[in-house]
Amino acid sequence: MTTPVLPAQAAGAPAQASATPLVSVEGLRMYFEITSGVLLSRHVGDIRAVDGIDLSIEKGETVGLVGESGCGKSTVGRTILRLYRPTAGRVVFDGQDITYAEGSTLRAVRRRMQMIFQDPYASLNPRMTAAGIVSEPMEIHNFASGRERRERVRDLLATVGLDPDYGDRYPHEFSGGQRQRIGVARALALHPDLIVADEPISALDVSIQAQIINLLERLQGEFGLTYLFIAHDLSVVRHISDRIAVMYLGKIVELTGSRALYERPLHPYSVALLSAVPIPDPAVEGRRRRIILTGDVPSPSNPPNGCRFHTRCWLRERLGNPDRCVAEEPVLREMTAGHAVACHFAEEVDGTAEQVQVTGRPGSGTPRAAAGPTPAAAGSMAGEAAGFPAAAPAAPASPEGDRPRLRKRS
Amino acid sequence: MRLLPEPAGRIEGGRVEFEGQDLIELDESEMRELRGKEIAMIFQDPMTSLNPVLTIEEQMVETIKAHKKITGSDARARAIELLSMVGIPQPEQRLRNFPHQFSGGMRQRVMIAMALALEPKLLIADEPTTALDVTIQAQVLELLSRLAADHGTAVILITHDLGVVAGMTRRTNVMYAGFVVESATTAELFAQPSHPYTVGLLHSMPRLDAQPGEPLIPIEGTPPDLRFAPVGCPFAPRCAWRVESCWRGMPPLEPLQPTTEVHMTGSGATHRCACWNRPTAEEASAGRPLRAGFTAAPEPIGAGR
Repeated sequence: MTTPVLPAQAAGAPAQASATPLVSVEGLRMYFEITSGVLLSRHVGDIRAVDGIDLSIEKGETVGLVGESGCGKSTVGRTILRLYRPTAGRVVFDGQDITYAEGSTLRAVRRRMQMIFQDPYASLNPRMTAAGIVSEPMEIHNFASGRERRERVRDLLATVGLDPDYGDRYPHEFSGGQRQRIGVARALALHPDLIVADEPISALDVSIQAQIINLLERLQGEFGLTYLFIAHDLSVVRHISDRIAVMYLGKIVELTGSRALYERPLHPYSVALLSAVPIPDPAVEGRRRRIILTGDVPSPSNPPNGCRFHTRCWLRERLGNPDRCVAEEPVLREMTAGHAVACHFAEEVDGTAEQVQVTGRPGSGTPRAAAGPTPAAAGSMAGEAAGFPAAAPAAPASPEGDRPRLRKRS
Repeated sequence: MRLLPEPAGRIEGGRVEFEGQDLIELDESEMRELRGKEIAMIFQDPMTSLNPVLTIEEQMVETIKAHKKITGSDARARAIELLSMVGIPQPEQRLRNFPHQFSGGMRQRVMIAMALALEPKLLIADEPTTALDVTIQAQVLELLSRLAADHGTAVILITHDLGVVAGMTRRTNVMYAGFVVESATTAELFAQPSHPYTVGLLHSMPRLDAQPGEPLIPIEGTPPDLRFAPVGCPFAPRCAWRVESCWRGMPPLEPLQPTTEVHMTGSGATHRCACWNRPTAEEASAGRPLRAGFTAAPEPIGAGR
């Protein structure tokens, strides 16, 4: 395979030469204990929310983290902020190892990293005024005081596009979009370097989402922020990110520039994910070929052996179900500069992507995925049934009397 | 469906015709006869629309027996048939499960199976995939369109996702604040969006196939508070194309081209739009007014909103 030049690498990611990345995560694992029993709780297993990931984020960069519910993307964000204590691995923030930082050390670092939450209804205290919410981080960190702090609150509210005079109103007096702006102002209060935005727009009305996306983009330019942008919506993530990490069941399966991911996805899961995103254009939708994955995501408490995607993988079926996918876990390897993928057979994905995507020319042959004897083959929306009976049975919840409970392992 | 409770929700007027019959004039027992059998509905959240303390079997058999004179074992056989039709593996075993033992996608399949149990003529799907992940959404939509085609079921798909609209529907009505503001075949609606709200929606969400760096043009302001009846066009406060008359009167839903015959349905449905100052084709593709010197008309003083 020739090595294509990846324009995203040149244009997207900021200078790789910069001394240290702002955030660097190595071999990060975050397990949550499953316990069982009424009085004496026994440890019966683990939810492996994050199971060994490496990721670094350069200063000023936006890294997108996408994946489906339960893939561990939010846990990665929260573990980087050290809201959890990692089970294994290292979290390095601006050269400082904070994996096990505590007390005042941790608080000092936390000042530099903030979070924007998904639900602006749940993440604002209903009994505090907007100004109180925005100034609380400053109180905690002894940042400015008195008149200076009040001035700063007004500035922050104006910065996020709210009327500073609304500071004495309560969250319920604001609309959803305005509430999310308060959340953004709170995140900005301490001049952070890193903002972890966890699904910051998915609870908002569609007509409001663009306002918040544009706001986040403007603030990044104004304050030189670094974003970890976590979302399930690939179109939004692609719009805002320089690089994107695709997660599946606690692992990063592909990591590349956002343009490269779209134009040339190399992991079969990424290909399927991209093909499943609807595009608001009937002419384009009519031409597109969709890879419909069978079954559901397996349980992270008992992930499949080898490659975690092998139970749903269309490529593996096409290749005649090679044993390697079950026997050996693929490592994240760099196929081309700045484009890493965790698939033994990523070379085989070459070209297929174009055929399942919008750029696919109608009539230029069925996608290669459909050529194989696979029920998970691509089909247009009006196409044939994609073999649902082949779907893996959904993992039913434990039928036992005492149901597993989640508990943080510490 | 006449499901909204009175007196909180009240039908003020108008007609809802189903096969020539005005549904509003039916009494509750006649309506109950119709629901499920002729018109069925799928809801957004399959967890809250299934009964958590009954097994799938009890719920499905109840639905089938409510409308058909049929023995319990026949109803059960029908339930198994329906579950396998929507692609649930081992339907005999899964019938005995409770809703919480199914994943979100599987639950929505159960809902679809129940909705189709009595072979309704019309299926109303209210945000059927909004709660689902994108790969599961693709599965459910594919299933829905295949089953609707196989059984000749008409589907009303209610969604906020223009991508789903583009891939699934033949005709589209765009609603804002209780009004249909634009109505057309789906192909025409996307080729020639003519209402500022439709144009705004299309420009405010990033497209997967967009050129990188293409800016989003948000719709300013917030959705209106429906407790206060708008004077004039409800979209006027957020509209970049508004002219003075927009503050005064609601524009009628009229054909784009003057015509004597308006087709409401079918592939030749007339493209209609409710706007006093429609964006031109160039403006629609730019997402903003391009006319030299045009500014949105300010709210008249004392308009009393």
